[in-house]
Amino acid sequence: MALPNQQTVDYPSFKLVLVGDGGTGKTTFVKRHLTGEFEKKYEPTIGVEVHPLDFFTNCGKIRFYCWDTAGQEKFGGLRDGYYIHGQCAIIMFDVTARLTYKNVPTWHRDLCRVCENIPIVLCGNKVDVKNRQVKAKQVTFHRKKNLQYYEISAKSNYNFEKPFLYLARKLAGDPNLHFVESPALAPPEVQIDLLAQQQHEAELAAAAAQPLPDDDDDVFD
Amino acid sequence: MASTDVDRPEEEETATDTAAGDEEDTGAHVAPIVRLEEVAVTTGEEDEDVLIDFKAKLYRFDKEGNQWKERGSGNVKLLKHKETGKIRLVMRQAKTLKICANHLVLASTKLQEHAGSDKSCVWHAMDYSDGELKEEMFAIRFGSVKNCKLFKETVEEIAESLGEIEETEDQDASSAAGLLEKLSVTESTTEESNATEAAAVEDENKEKGHQEKQVEAEESSSTS
Repeated sequence: MALPNQQTVDYPSFKLVLVGDGGTGKTTFVKRHLTGEFEKKYEPTIGVEVHPLDFFTNCGKIRFYCWDTAGQEKFGGLRDGYYIHGQCAIIMFDVTARLTYKNVPTWHRDLCRVCENIPIVLCGNKVDVKNRQVKAKQVTFHRKKNLQYYEISAKSNYNFEKPFLYLARKLAGDPNLHFVESPALAPPEVQIDLLAQQQHEAELAAAAAQPLPDDDDDVFD
Repeated sequence: MASTDVDRPEEEETATDTAAGDEEDTGAHVAPIVRLEEVAVTTGEEDEDVLIDFKAKLYRFDKEGNQWKERGSGNVKLLKHKETGKIRLVMRQAKTLKICANHLVLASTKLQEHAGSDKSCVWHAMDYSDGELKEEMFAIRFGSVKNCKLFKETVEEIAESLGEIEETEDQDASSAAGLLEKLSVTESTTEESNATEAAAVEDENKEKGHQEKQVEAEESSSTS
């Protein structure tokens, strides 16, 4: 469901409520999907931010309106309004902070008070970190409450597509739904004049001197 | 919902503590809310030949923050249209398969080295990822120096041969003289280089299979 000031689309869209304690990585996870970037800085979300996230599936394009909510009580704890008309949800905790897992039942209870019988994914984030406080075996809440559980890492992209894939499958009642390549349209031809080109090259030379983020990471090694 | 707040016996947990536990469906049976029909899928790449297909990580330059930001990791391709002969760069994010770069390789496309890494290079492009042209500065990092070199050389060869075509079309070469100064590639060597490209792509494909296996192994070990 879109906000009043947000454009609606002519393909199926769903309101997704994203909750969990502050600092568990909700905003970073959404940003990762929106722009590809991995934001290390922690800036608590205030209230709620709604981001449209599109996916291409074998059953056409779909959109999740992600309601990225403030995890910290002092930044406006969640009012029922955030949950209302939620059609699916992600509850996130941080596997390196035990308390964030302990609070999962509270988030679940608040969510289910407003949204009955919606598909919910529990995500244990930051599994790339060596010193976990919550081991995979210790995560049992999802079994009691019939949630789907994924271990994810917004940093390494491990399982980062799984929560959306799972929710899409449940919302459509199609276990075979999968992501497909979106059409790569032919880019139009543009003329770049010499002056602009010289400017680009100068800008580029300056940019080339800036380091790339996480050069230490081991995607290829 | 809150009325079912009764804990189930513990046996359920011990019975299913497998490493692959996160793949099983433990979700509730919820009624679907939409009915979606299967649709024909087009990649938009059907009429193109693949010149290069390498695993890589792409970054875009954030001018405001004066820093590189990750844009996506997946496979970068150079695609040549079978009829028009136009060559473009297309990159998709792994798993979600969304487009993170889509632009033509032009005579003016110039790759520069990235300070600090010989597996990376940078360039400027009018990117069409979102269906509208946007100026972007991209940096790309490959898994090996070899792949980076091959990528760079291929793009440079394409840009050079495009430059030659422009020169013959436009005899008033004075404005383009600076750009074309270094060009010495002839048609015949371009053909030769295409052959080496094809061989390189084959090598890469073999290597890619190997890399993917490695990544899978890493992923499964990181979860255990």
